[in-house]
Formats: sequence, C-alpha cells, structure tokens
Amino acid sequence: MIHRDKNHKTTSGRRALGIAAALVLGWTFAAPSAAQDAKTIAATVCVACHGENGNSAIPMFPKIAGLQEGYIVKQLRDFQSGRRKSDIMAPVVAALKPEDFASLATFYSGQKLNPGEDADKKAAGFGKMIFFEGNEETGVPACVGCHQPQGAGHLVYPRIGGQHAQYVTQQLKNFASSDRSNDVNRFMRVLAKRMSDEEIESVAAYLVGLDSK
Amino acid sequence: MKKLLTLLMVLSLWSAVASAQTPAWNEIKGELKTALETKGDPVRGAAAFEPCQGCHRQDASGRVSGAYPRLSGQHATVLMKQMADIRSGRRSNPKMEPFIGDHILTPYEIADIAVYLQGLPISKENGKGPGTCGVTGKLLYDKDCANCHGGVGEGSAEKFYPMVAAQHYRYLLREVQFIRDGDRRNANPDMIKVIKPYSTCDMETVADYMSQFPPPQK
Repeated sequence: MIHRDKNHKTTSGRRALGIAAALVLGWTFAAPSAAQDAKTIAATVCVACHGENGNSAIPMFPKIAGLQEGYIVKQLRDFQSGRRKSDIMAPVVAALKPEDFASLATFYSGQKLNPGEDADKKAAGFGKMIFFEGNEETGVPACVGCHQPQGAGHLVYPRIGGQHAQYVTQQLKNFASSDRSNDVNRFMRVLAKRMSDEEIESVAAYLVGLDSK
Repeated sequence: MKKLLTLLMVLSLWSAVASAQTPAWNEIKGELKTALETKGDPVRGAAAFEPCQGCHRQDASGRVSGAYPRLSGQHATVLMKQMADIRSGRRSNPKMEPFIGDHILTPYEIADIAVYLQGLPISKENGKGPGTCGVTGKLLYDKDCANCHGGVGEGSAEKFYPMVAAQHYRYLLREVQFIRDGDRRNANPDMIKVIKPYSTCDMETVADYMSQFPPPQK
C-alpha cells in the first residue's frame, strides 16, 4: 500500500510538473493527452540516462530511439515485474503508470537512432563476419537472421544497429550468464552462451557504426 | 493434401504391419501426424521461420560449407518429418535442438514452415563436390539411390524421401556418413543396409554426383 501511495505521489508530482512546463511553453491548455504525457516523461525522467530523444550519450545506457514499440513495452513490463533485473531501471519504472508504457513506446519508436563511429576497426571487421555468418563450428546463428541486414530489427527482434558497444557487450554477457533471462524463447541465452568473449566484443564493435536508418 | 494424407496413412500402416516389432522409420504418429493433417499457411510459415534464418539464411539456401542444409524447395512432408524427429530426439541435432523445442513451435507452425519452405525457389548455387566422380558416381547412385531418391535426385513427397538435388555437397557427405554409421537414428533401415559397405571414397563419390543435379523442375 505504501508503495502504491508513493507511486501515486511521484506520478502526480511529475504530472504537475508536466502541466507547468506546458503552460510555460505556451501550449494550449487542455487535459494532457497520453502523447504529451509521454513527451513530458521522456523529457524529465528518461532523458538523464537515455539522452535527448532516446540517443543516449553514455555508453553503458542503451539508445532507445527507434526501438520496436512492442519491444519497449515488453522491457518496461519486465522491469516492472522483475523479469528483467536492473537496479537502475526498477525504481524508475516503479514510478511510472503502466498506462504510460504504450505512449512512451510510441514516442521512442518514432525517434531516429543515430549510429556512432566504430572505434575499433579491426574488431568491427571480425564482428561483421559474426553478424552475417555466425559461427558454424559452435552453432552461433548469424545476427542478421532476426535483426535484419542493417540491424533495424523486426517484429519481436529489437533494433541493434548503431547501439553502444558497451551496452551490447554487457547484455550479451548477461544473456550468457542468464542474469538477463527475459528473451523470447531463450534464443539469446542459448546463442550468447555459445559465443566467445572476442565474438561478443567484436559484434558489439561492429554494431556501433551500423546505420539502421 | 487430404488425398496425399490418406495415401501416406495407408503406406505407413503397411510398413508398420510389415515390421511389427520396431516402429517403422516413417510411421505417421504424434506431431508428424498433426502437422500432416494441418493445412499449412505459408504466410504464417514465413514469420515462424524467421528465427531459423540465422543459420539457414533468409532464402533458406543454407550454407555452401554444408554446416546447414538448403531447405528451399524441399518436400513439405520431408521437412515436417525431420522437424518432428529432431523435436522428439529421434534425429539428434544438438545445435538446432534449443531453437526448435515445443516451447517455440507448435505442430501447426511446423506445417506452416514446411509449406512455406517447399514453395521457395531454389535459386542460390549449391556447394558442389570436386566433380571428379566420373562414371563411378553415376553407377553407385543408379544402383543404390535412384530407386528412392529418383533419377535426378527429386526424392518423393509421398514416401518422405528427401530431394537431394541441389543440396550442398558437404551436407550430403556428412549425412550419408551419419546414416552409414548409425548416427542418424531416424534413417530408413533399408538405406543403412545398402550403404553399410560404402568406403569414404564411395560416399564422397556419390555425394559429389548428387550435388551436381540441378534443381528439379516442379
């Protein structure tokens, strides 16, 4: 009960802030729509780590611009339920209303993810091979099969082209150790376990500069 | 599909009676039966096949290295049987097993995928053998293989005999060896008998010959 009250307080506090911001910016006052709510939450809550319009500038935090809507909603739900564990995201998501998930997802999926520049050309070269070919010896499927040639993702498979290397590396290692276990059908856990550290770091290095449009 | 199914059931019953003690290699039961009775939908099949593309490639052409077979254009019945056999453990495939378990695909999706793959064009070049089999390859194939796999490697949908034409050489070679050595447990016992005396050289020769068949006209 206490937990819920706290959530409520935080939410209404944030909402008041949102309305205030809207007034300051001279928007026509009306009952704030879900889309406006999402924009406000994005600009006040998410921005600190995920950056302007979801293009995080901090390598350990993922870029969330252009991620698939369904994927974003699923991650938020999984953070909320504890299926995906994160000490950072858990309290943030606990302060959100589940009704906000869909509009946040719509907002961020509509933003453009800006790729970075591959820092390590040599690793990126080997990573490109893993991305398109996988590893036949160890049975690592090629990433391209689900995540598409430009890493734009598709259906339940998220956009990965242009993502921070540090984040991708961490997630693959988390899948391999099953610290992250909210993947569909265990696919990522199975395949990440089959990858060497070099393969993980190389494919992450390749993804940094992959412009998924 | 209904007529085909009836024919399949009769054939299956016949072979089950013929060898009453052990279950026939091509017995139609369980998931295979369910899949065969399902009217597969290629559109749903395309979506369900997506996770398979990482290995078998987007156009299901497989790998020239032979690590993963070409699936495009293969008989739907053959694909259903192989998928069902891998799920049940009758055909051992540790690399693929975690990606095809029954928490991932329903037997209906097996039918969807099979129908989708059967309809795909066999476009890409397959991995060919060295092309040095000469007349020996043809002699061996015509004597031992053609009866089931067809004169030009077209196989038989009704009898679950795979199309071997346009398949990758290294995949053919690997599977022939698995079957000869008893490692592919879902093989037709008649085939094991026939190729038991094959030397490595014989296997290479016949795999080389099969890999040279162009995609059969449908």
